[in-house]
Amino acid sequence: MTLDEIKQLIEFIKSHELSEFELEHDGVKIRIKSGLSHHVVTVPHAAAPPVSAAPVAAPAAAAPAAPVAPVADEGGELAIVKSPIVGTFYRAAEPGAKPLAAVGDIVRKGQVLCIIEAMKLMNEIDSEYDGEITSIYVENAQAVQYGERLFAIRPTS
Amino acid sequence: MLPDDLAAPLGALRGRRPEVNLAVRWHASVPSTMDVASTLAAGGAAHGVVVVADQQTAGRGRRGHVWVSPPGAGLYLSFIARPAIAASTFLSLVTLAAGVAVRDGILAAQGLAVDLKWPNDVMVGRRKLAGILAEGLALGTAGQAVVIGVGLNLRGSSYPPDVAARATSLEGELGRTVDRGQVMAEVLAALWDRLAALESGPGDILQAWRAASPSAIGSRVEWDAKSGTTAGIDDSGALLIRTSSGVERVIAGELQWPAFARP
Repeated sequence: MTLDEIKQLIEFIKSHELSEFELEHDGVKIRIKSGLSHHVVTVPHAAAPPVSAAPVAAPAAAAPAAPVAPVADEGGELAIVKSPIVGTFYRAAEPGAKPLAAVGDIVRKGQVLCIIEAMKLMNEIDSEYDGEITSIYVENAQAVQYGERLFAIRPTS
Repeated sequence: MLPDDLAAPLGALRGRRPEVNLAVRWHASVPSTMDVASTLAAGGAAHGVVVVADQQTAGRGRRGHVWVSPPGAGLYLSFIARPAIAASTFLSLVTLAAGVAVRDGILAAQGLAVDLKWPNDVMVGRRKLAGILAEGLALGTAGQAVVIGVGLNLRGSSYPPDVAARATSLEGELGRTVDRGQVMAEVLAALWDRLAALESGPGDILQAWRAASPSAIGSRVEWDAKSGTTAGIDDSGALLIRTSSGVERVIAGELQWPAFARP
Protein backbone atom coordinates (compact mmCIF):
# COMPACT_ATOMS: atom_id res chain seq x y z
CA MET A 1 0.00 0.00 0.00
CA THR A 2 1.48 3.36 -1.00
CA LEU A 3 1.41 6.66 0.81
CA ASP A 4 -0.92 8.08 -1.85
CA GLU A 5 -3.33 5.23 -1.27
CA ILE A 6 -3.31 5.91 2.46
CA LYS A 7 -3.92 9.61 1.80
CA GLN A 8 -6.83 8.73 -0.47
CA LEU A 9 -8.20 6.47 2.22
CA ILE A 10 -8.02 9.28 4.78
CA GLU A 11 -9.78 11.67 2.39
CA PHE A 12 -12.47 9.05 1.83
CA ILE A 13 -12.97 8.61 5.57
CA LYS A 14 -13.07 12.37 6.14
CA SER A 15 -15.54 12.98 3.32
CA HIS A 16 -17.87 10.32 4.67
CA GLU A 17 -17.36 11.37 8.29
CA LEU A 18 -16.68 7.81 9.31
CA SER A 19 -15.69 7.31 12.91
CA GLU A 20 -13.79 4.08 12.35
CA PHE A 21 -12.36 2.22 9.36
CA GLU A 22 -10.42 -1.01 9.01
CA LEU A 23 -8.80 -2.49 5.90
CA GLU A 24 -6.67 -5.54 5.25
CA HIS A 25 -4.84 -5.56 1.93
CA ASP A 26 -1.77 -7.47 0.74
CA GLY A 27 -0.87 -8.45 4.27
CA VAL A 28 -1.11 -4.86 5.55
CA LYS A 29 -3.81 -4.11 8.03
CA ILE A 30 -4.75 -0.51 8.69
CA ARG A 31 -7.28 0.81 11.16
CA ILE A 32 -8.24 4.48 11.38
CA LYS A 33 -10.36 5.94 14.12
CA SER A 34 -11.66 9.46 14.19
CA GLY A 35 -13.15 11.30 17.13
CA LEU A 36 -13.56 14.79 18.50
CA SER A 37 -10.80 14.96 21.04
CA HIS A 38 -8.37 12.26 19.99
CA HIS A 39 -7.64 9.96 17.11
CA VAL A 40 -5.92 6.65 17.00
CA VAL A 41 -4.49 4.82 14.06
CA THR A 42 -2.90 1.48 14.32
CA VAL A 43 -0.67 -0.29 11.89
CA PRO A 44 0.18 -3.59 13.52
CA HIS A 45 3.93 -3.91 13.68
CA ALA A 46 4.35 -7.50 12.54
CA ALA A 47 1.88 -7.36 9.67
CA ALA A 48 3.00 -4.10 8.15
CA PRO A 49 6.67 -3.98 7.23
CA PRO A 50 6.11 -1.93 4.04
CA VAL A 51 4.44 0.92 5.90
CA SER A 52 6.93 2.77 8.04
CA ALA A 53 6.07 5.33 10.64
CA ALA A 54 7.09 8.42 8.71
CA PRO A 55 4.89 8.17 5.61
CA VAL A 56 1.82 7.27 7.63
CA ALA A 57 2.31 10.27 9.86
CA ALA A 58 2.90 12.61 6.92
CA PRO A 59 -0.74 13.31 5.98
CA ALA A 60 -1.40 14.42 9.54
CA ALA A 61 1.44 16.91 9.38
CA ALA A 62 0.02 18.31 6.16
CA ALA A 63 -3.39 18.86 7.72
CA PRO A 64 -2.98 19.37 11.47
CA ALA A 65 -6.54 20.45 12.16
CA ALA A 66 -8.13 17.71 10.07
CA PRO A 67 -10.60 15.43 11.81
CA VAL A 68 -8.40 12.40 11.19
CA ALA A 69 -4.85 12.29 12.52
CA PRO A 70 -3.14 9.04 11.78
CA VAL A 71 -0.12 8.13 13.80
CA ALA A 72 1.85 4.97 14.02
CA ASP A 73 5.12 4.03 15.54
CA GLU A 74 7.08 0.90 16.14
CA GLY A 75 5.44 0.31 19.47
CA GLY A 76 1.91 0.19 18.09
CA GLU A 77 -0.91 2.51 19.06
CA LEU A 78 -0.34 6.13 19.89
CA ALA A 79 -3.05 8.35 21.27
CA ILE A 80 -2.97 11.97 20.14
CA VAL A 81 -4.02 14.78 22.46
CA LYS A 82 -5.31 17.68 20.39
CA SER A 83 -6.17 21.23 21.24
CA PRO A 84 -9.86 21.69 22.03
CA ILE A 85 -9.60 25.45 21.43
CA VAL A 86 -7.64 28.19 19.69
CA GLY A 87 -5.16 29.86 22.00
CA THR A 88 -1.62 30.08 23.32
CA PHE A 89 0.06 26.85 24.43
CA TYR A 90 1.98 26.83 27.71
CA ARG A 91 3.92 23.84 28.97
CA ALA A 92 4.17 25.14 32.55
CA ALA A 93 1.76 26.74 35.01
CA GLU A 94 3.84 29.93 34.98
CA PRO A 95 7.02 31.22 33.33
CA GLY A 96 10.10 29.54 34.73
CA ALA A 97 8.17 26.70 36.37
CA LYS A 98 8.80 23.05 35.61
CA PRO A 99 6.90 21.82 32.53
CA LEU A 100 3.74 19.93 33.42
CA ALA A 101 4.71 17.08 31.09
CA ALA A 102 7.85 16.09 29.21
CA VAL A 103 8.73 13.41 26.67
CA GLY A 104 9.28 10.16 28.53
CA ASP A 105 6.99 11.09 31.41
CA ILE A 106 4.49 8.51 32.55
CA VAL A 107 1.16 10.30 32.91
CA ARG A 108 -2.16 9.27 34.39
CA LYS A 109 -5.65 9.82 33.05
CA GLY A 110 -6.87 13.22 34.24
CA GLN A 111 -3.37 14.60 34.77
CA VAL A 112 -2.85 18.15 33.49
CA LEU A 113 -0.48 18.13 30.48
CA CYS A 114 -0.42 21.79 29.49
CA ILE A 115 -2.35 25.04 29.63
CA ILE A 116 -3.90 26.85 26.69
CA GLU A 117 -4.83 30.47 27.19
CA ALA A 118 -7.61 32.16 25.29
CA MET A 119 -9.24 35.41 26.33
CA LYS A 120 -7.36 35.24 29.65
CA LEU A 121 -9.07 31.93 30.41
CA MET A 122 -6.42 29.39 31.35
CA ASN A 123 -7.55 25.99 30.10
CA GLU A 124 -5.97 22.98 31.71
CA ILE A 125 -5.68 20.19 29.15
CA ASP A 126 -5.92 16.77 30.77
CA SER A 127 -4.59 13.43 29.59
CA GLU A 128 -7.31 11.05 28.55
CA TYR A 129 -4.98 8.10 28.99
CA ASP A 130 -2.59 6.38 31.31
CA GLY A 131 0.62 6.13 29.34
CA GLU A 132 3.96 7.54 28.29
CA ILE A 133 4.44 10.85 26.48
CA THR A 134 6.33 10.08 23.27
CA SER A 135 6.11 13.43 21.47
CA ILE A 136 5.27 17.06 22.09
CA TYR A 137 4.37 18.79 18.85
CA VAL A 138 4.18 22.44 19.92
CA GLU A 139 6.74 24.84 21.37
CA ASN A 140 6.00 26.70 24.58
CA ALA A 141 4.08 30.00 24.14
CA GLN A 142 3.11 29.23 20.54
CA ALA A 143 -0.36 29.78 19.12
CA VAL A 144 -2.35 26.61 18.52
CA GLN A 145 -5.39 26.05 16.36
CA TYR A 146 -8.50 24.04 17.09
CA GLY A 147 -7.70 20.36 16.58
CA GLU A 148 -3.94 20.87 16.40
CA ARG A 149 -1.81 18.02 17.71
CA LEU A 150 -0.25 18.69 21.12
CA PHE A 151 1.00 15.40 22.55
CA ALA A 152 1.40 11.76 21.55
CA ILE A 153 0.91 9.22 24.31
CA ARG A 154 1.60 5.52 24.17
CA PRO A 155 -1.16 4.12 26.36
CA THR A 156 -0.28 1.48 28.89
CA SER A 157 -2.31 -1.59 28.08
CA MET B 1 -17.86 31.20 59.93
CA LEU B 2 -18.66 34.20 57.76
CA PRO B 3 -17.96 37.54 59.54
CA ASP B 4 -21.08 39.60 60.30
CA ASP B 5 -20.20 42.39 57.87
CA LEU B 6 -20.24 39.83 55.03
CA ALA B 7 -23.10 37.65 56.32
CA ALA B 8 -25.61 40.50 56.64
CA PRO B 9 -25.56 41.72 53.01
CA LEU B 10 -25.51 38.13 51.75
CA GLY B 11 -28.58 37.38 53.86
CA ALA B 12 -30.29 40.47 52.49
CA LEU B 13 -29.45 39.37 48.93
CA ARG B 14 -30.90 35.92 49.63
CA GLY B 15 -34.13 37.53 50.85
CA ARG B 16 -34.36 39.86 47.86
CA ARG B 17 -33.21 37.40 45.16
CA PRO B 18 -33.85 33.86 46.40
CA GLU B 19 -33.02 32.40 42.95
CA VAL B 20 -29.40 33.57 43.28
CA ASN B 21 -28.15 30.32 44.75
CA LEU B 22 -24.75 31.13 46.22
CA ALA B 23 -22.78 29.08 48.71
CA VAL B 24 -20.03 31.29 50.15
CA ARG B 25 -17.10 29.63 51.94
CA TRP B 26 -15.04 31.97 54.07
CA HIS B 27 -11.38 31.64 54.99
CA ALA B 28 -9.42 34.06 57.17
CA SER B 29 -6.23 33.28 55.24
CA VAL B 30 -5.44 30.99 52.31
CA PRO B 31 -2.52 30.77 49.89
CA SER B 32 -4.91 31.48 46.98
CA THR B 33 -8.70 31.32 46.68
CA MET B 34 -8.14 29.95 43.14
CA ASP B 35 -6.43 26.84 44.47
CA VAL B 36 -9.14 26.21 47.06
CA ALA B 37 -11.92 26.73 44.50
CA SER B 38 -10.21 24.57 41.84
CA THR B 39 -9.97 21.71 44.31
CA LEU B 40 -13.64 22.15 45.21
CA ALA B 41 -14.62 22.27 41.52
CA ALA B 42 -12.63 19.11 40.77
CA GLY B 43 -14.53 17.50 43.64
CA GLY B 44 -17.88 18.38 42.07
CA ALA B 45 -18.79 21.71 43.71
CA ALA B 46 -21.90 23.29 42.17
CA HIS B 47 -22.36 26.48 40.18
CA GLY B 48 -22.38 29.39 42.61
CA VAL B 49 -19.96 27.98 45.18
CA VAL B 50 -17.68 30.88 46.11
CA VAL B 51 -14.43 30.92 48.08
CA VAL B 52 -13.74 34.22 49.86
CA ALA B 53 -10.68 35.08 51.93
CA ASP B 54 -9.68 38.00 54.12
CA GLN B 55 -6.06 37.46 53.11
CA GLN B 56 -4.13 35.55 50.45
CA THR B 57 -0.53 34.66 51.18
CA ALA B 58 0.12 33.64 47.56
CA GLY B 59 -2.55 35.52 45.59
CA ARG B 60 -1.97 35.17 41.90
CA GLY B 61 -2.74 36.85 38.64
CA ARG B 62 -2.20 35.80 35.07
CA ARG B 63 0.81 33.59 34.26
CA GLY B 64 2.70 33.86 37.54
CA HIS B 65 1.92 37.49 38.27
CA VAL B 66 1.38 38.11 41.98
CA TRP B 67 -1.81 39.67 43.34
CA VAL B 68 -0.84 41.48 46.54
CA SER B 69 -3.57 40.52 49.02
CA PRO B 70 -2.96 41.92 52.52
CA PRO B 71 -5.52 41.13 55.24
CA GLY B 72 -8.72 43.16 55.10
CA ALA B 73 -7.49 45.44 52.30
CA GLY B 74 -9.34 43.80 49.45
CA LEU B 75 -12.00 41.46 48.26
CA TYR B 76 -10.41 38.18 47.22
CA LEU B 77 -12.84 35.64 45.85
CA SER B 78 -13.17 32.75 43.41
CA PHE B 79 -16.53 31.87 41.87
CA ILE B 80 -17.17 28.38 40.50
CA ALA B 81 -19.22 28.42 37.28
CA ARG B 82 -20.66 25.33 35.63
CA PRO B 83 -21.51 26.37 32.08
CA ALA B 84 -23.81 24.11 30.07
CA ILE B 85 -21.80 22.27 27.46
CA ALA B 86 -24.06 23.52 24.66
CA ALA B 87 -23.36 27.18 25.43
CA SER B 88 -20.81 27.53 22.65
CA THR B 89 -19.89 31.19 23.05
CA PHE B 90 -19.71 30.95 26.84
CA LEU B 91 -16.03 30.07 27.11
CA SER B 92 -14.77 32.73 24.72
CA LEU B 93 -16.74 35.47 26.45
CA VAL B 94 -16.73 34.35 30.10
CA THR B 95 -13.78 36.54 31.08
CA LEU B 96 -15.38 39.59 29.43
CA ALA B 97 -18.64 38.79 31.22
CA ALA B 98 -16.78 38.64 34.53
CA GLY B 99 -15.35 42.11 33.91
CA VAL B 100 -18.81 43.45 33.12
CA ALA B 101 -20.16 41.83 36.31
CA VAL B 102 -17.49 43.31 38.57
CA ARG B 103 -18.20 46.69 37.02
CA ASP B 104 -21.95 46.20 37.63
CA GLY B 105 -21.32 45.20 41.25
CA ILE B 106 -19.16 48.25 42.01
CA LEU B 107 -21.70 50.54 40.35
CA ALA B 108 -24.62 49.01 42.29
CA ALA B 109 -22.83 49.02 45.64
CA GLN B 110 -20.96 52.33 45.48
CA GLY B 111 -22.19 54.29 42.46
CA LEU B 112 -18.73 54.36 40.87
CA ALA B 113 -18.62 53.75 37.10
CA VAL B 114 -15.30 52.07 36.25
CA ASP B 115 -13.76 51.32 32.86
CA LEU B 116 -12.80 47.93 31.45
CA LYS B 117 -9.52 47.37 29.64
CA TRP B 118 -9.39 44.36 27.33
CA PRO B 119 -10.05 41.69 28.19
CA ASN B 120 -11.17 42.42 31.76
CA ASP B 121 -8.96 44.72 33.79
CA VAL B 122 -11.11 46.98 35.96
CA MET B 123 -9.66 50.48 35.74
CA VAL B 124 -10.17 53.93 37.17
CA GLY B 125 -8.32 56.21 34.78
CA ARG B 126 -4.80 54.84 34.32
CA ARG B 127 -4.87 52.71 37.46
CA LYS B 128 -6.12 49.22 38.14
CA LEU B 129 -8.85 48.76 40.74
CA ALA B 130 -9.57 45.07 40.26
CA GLY B 131 -8.12 42.14 38.38
CA ILE B 132 -9.81 39.01 37.13
CA LEU B 133 -8.48 35.68 36.00
CA ALA B 134 -10.22 32.49 35.02
CA GLU B 135 -9.21 28.86 34.91
CA GLY B 136 -11.04 26.17 32.99
CA LEU B 137 -11.26 22.60 34.23
CA ALA B 138 -12.23 19.56 32.14
CA LEU B 139 -13.59 21.82 29.42
CA GLY B 140 -15.57 20.05 26.74
CA THR B 141 -16.74 17.38 29.15
CA ALA B 142 -19.92 17.05 31.18
CA GLY B 143 -17.91 18.00 34.27
CA GLN B 144 -16.53 21.25 32.89
CA ALA B 145 -16.07 24.18 35.24
CA VAL B 146 -14.69 27.68 35.03
CA VAL B 147 -13.23 29.18 38.21
CA ILE B 148 -13.38 32.99 38.09
CA GLY B 149 -11.03 34.81 40.42
CA VAL B 150 -11.57 38.44 41.43
CA GLY B 151 -9.17 40.63 43.38
CA LEU B 152 -10.61 44.04 44.18
CA ASN B 153 -8.68 46.69 46.11
CA LEU B 154 -10.91 48.09 48.84
CA ARG B 155 -8.49 50.32 50.68
CA GLY B 156 -5.03 51.62 49.98
CA SER B 157 -2.55 49.43 51.73
CA SER B 158 1.15 49.10 52.13
CA TYR B 159 1.62 47.97 48.55
CA PRO B 160 5.08 47.50 47.17
CA PRO B 161 6.13 50.66 45.27
CA ASP B 162 5.81 49.05 41.82
CA VAL B 163 2.21 48.07 42.62
CA ALA B 164 1.35 51.38 44.32
CA ALA B 165 2.25 53.28 41.13
CA ARG B 166 -0.35 51.48 39.03
CA ALA B 167 -3.03 50.42 41.52
CA THR B 168 -5.93 52.25 43.08
CA SER B 169 -8.56 51.32 45.65
CA LEU B 170 -12.27 51.87 46.07
CA GLU B 171 -11.85 53.91 49.25
CA GLY B 172 -9.02 55.90 47.65
CA GLU B 173 -11.24 56.81 44.71
CA LEU B 174 -14.35 57.57 46.79
CA GLY B 175 -12.63 59.31 49.72
CA ARG B 176 -14.74 57.46 52.28
CA THR B 177 -14.96 54.08 53.95
CA VAL B 178 -16.61 51.31 52.00
CA ASP B 179 -18.80 48.48 53.25
CA ARG B 180 -16.95 45.46 51.85
CA GLY B 181 -19.86 43.10 52.50
CA GLN B 182 -22.14 45.19 50.34
CA VAL B 183 -19.55 45.30 47.54
CA MET B 184 -19.09 41.52 47.77
CA ALA B 185 -22.82 40.77 47.68
CA GLU B 186 -23.38 43.05 44.67
CA VAL B 187 -20.38 41.64 42.77
CA LEU B 188 -21.55 38.06 43.40
CA ALA B 189 -25.14 38.85 42.36
CA ALA B 190 -23.84 40.51 39.19
CA LEU B 191 -21.60 37.52 38.41
CA TRP B 192 -24.60 35.25 38.83
CA ASP B 193 -26.73 37.40 36.51
CA ARG B 194 -24.11 38.06 33.81
CA LEU B 195 -23.14 34.37 33.60
CA ALA B 196 -26.82 33.44 33.28
CA ALA B 197 -27.23 36.05 30.54
CA LEU B 198 -24.19 34.69 28.72
CA GLU B 199 -25.64 31.19 28.72
CA SER B 200 -28.61 32.46 26.75
CA GLY B 201 -26.58 34.50 24.27
CA PRO B 202 -23.62 36.86 23.82
CA GLY B 203 -25.51 40.03 22.85
CA ASP B 204 -25.95 41.67 26.26
CA ILE B 205 -22.38 40.99 27.33
CA LEU B 206 -20.87 42.34 24.11
CA GLN B 207 -23.00 45.47 24.28
CA ALA B 208 -22.24 46.14 27.96
CA TRP B 209 -18.52 45.45 27.51
CA ARG B 210 -18.19 47.72 24.48
CA ALA B 211 -20.01 50.55 26.30
CA ALA B 212 -17.62 50.26 29.27
CA SER B 213 -14.30 50.09 27.43
CA PRO B 214 -13.22 53.39 25.88
CA SER B 215 -9.67 52.06 25.44
CA ALA B 216 -10.86 49.31 23.08
CA ILE B 217 -11.00 51.87 20.30
CA GLY B 218 -8.18 54.17 19.26
CA SER B 219 -5.60 53.17 21.89
CA ARG B 220 -2.03 52.38 21.00
CA VAL B 221 -0.93 48.87 21.95
CA GLU B 222 2.37 47.04 21.56
CA TRP B 223 3.28 43.39 21.58
CA ASP B 224 6.37 41.45 20.59
CA ALA B 225 7.98 43.78 18.07
CA LYS B 226 4.66 45.06 16.72
CA SER B 227 2.33 47.91 17.47
CA GLY B 228 -1.05 49.18 16.36
CA THR B 229 -4.25 50.93 17.33
CA THR B 230 -7.22 49.20 18.92
CA ALA B 231 -10.30 48.90 16.71
CA GLY B 232 -12.89 47.33 19.03
CA ILE B 233 -13.71 43.71 19.70
CA ASP B 234 -15.35 41.21 17.40
CA ASP B 235 -18.32 39.08 18.49
CA SER B 236 -16.03 36.36 19.85
CA GLY B 237 -14.44 38.90 22.20
CA ALA B 238 -11.14 39.07 20.30
CA LEU B 239 -9.43 42.46 20.31
CA LEU B 240 -8.97 43.94 16.84
CA ILE B 241 -5.78 45.90 16.30
CA ARG B 242 -5.12 47.98 13.21
CA THR B 243 -1.49 47.82 12.17
CA SER B 244 0.44 49.07 9.16
CA SER B 245 -0.05 45.68 7.54
CA GLY B 246 -3.75 45.17 8.25
CA VAL B 247 -6.04 44.24 11.13
CA GLU B 248 -4.82 41.66 13.64
CA ARG B 249 -7.17 39.66 15.83
CA VAL B 250 -5.75 39.05 19.31
CA ILE B 251 -7.11 36.44 21.71
CA ALA B 252 -4.21 35.79 24.07
CA GLY B 253 -0.82 36.98 25.13
CA GLU B 254 0.75 39.99 26.76
CA LEU B 255 -0.17 43.40 25.33
CA GLN B 256 1.43 46.65 26.43
CA TRP B 257 -0.77 49.75 26.68
CA PRO B 258 1.43 52.86 26.83
CA ALA B 259 -1.55 55.05 27.83
CA PHE B 260 -1.92 53.10 31.08
CA ALA B 261 0.45 52.86 34.01
CA ARG B 262 3.24 50.45 33.15
CA PRO B 263 3.24 47.07 34.85
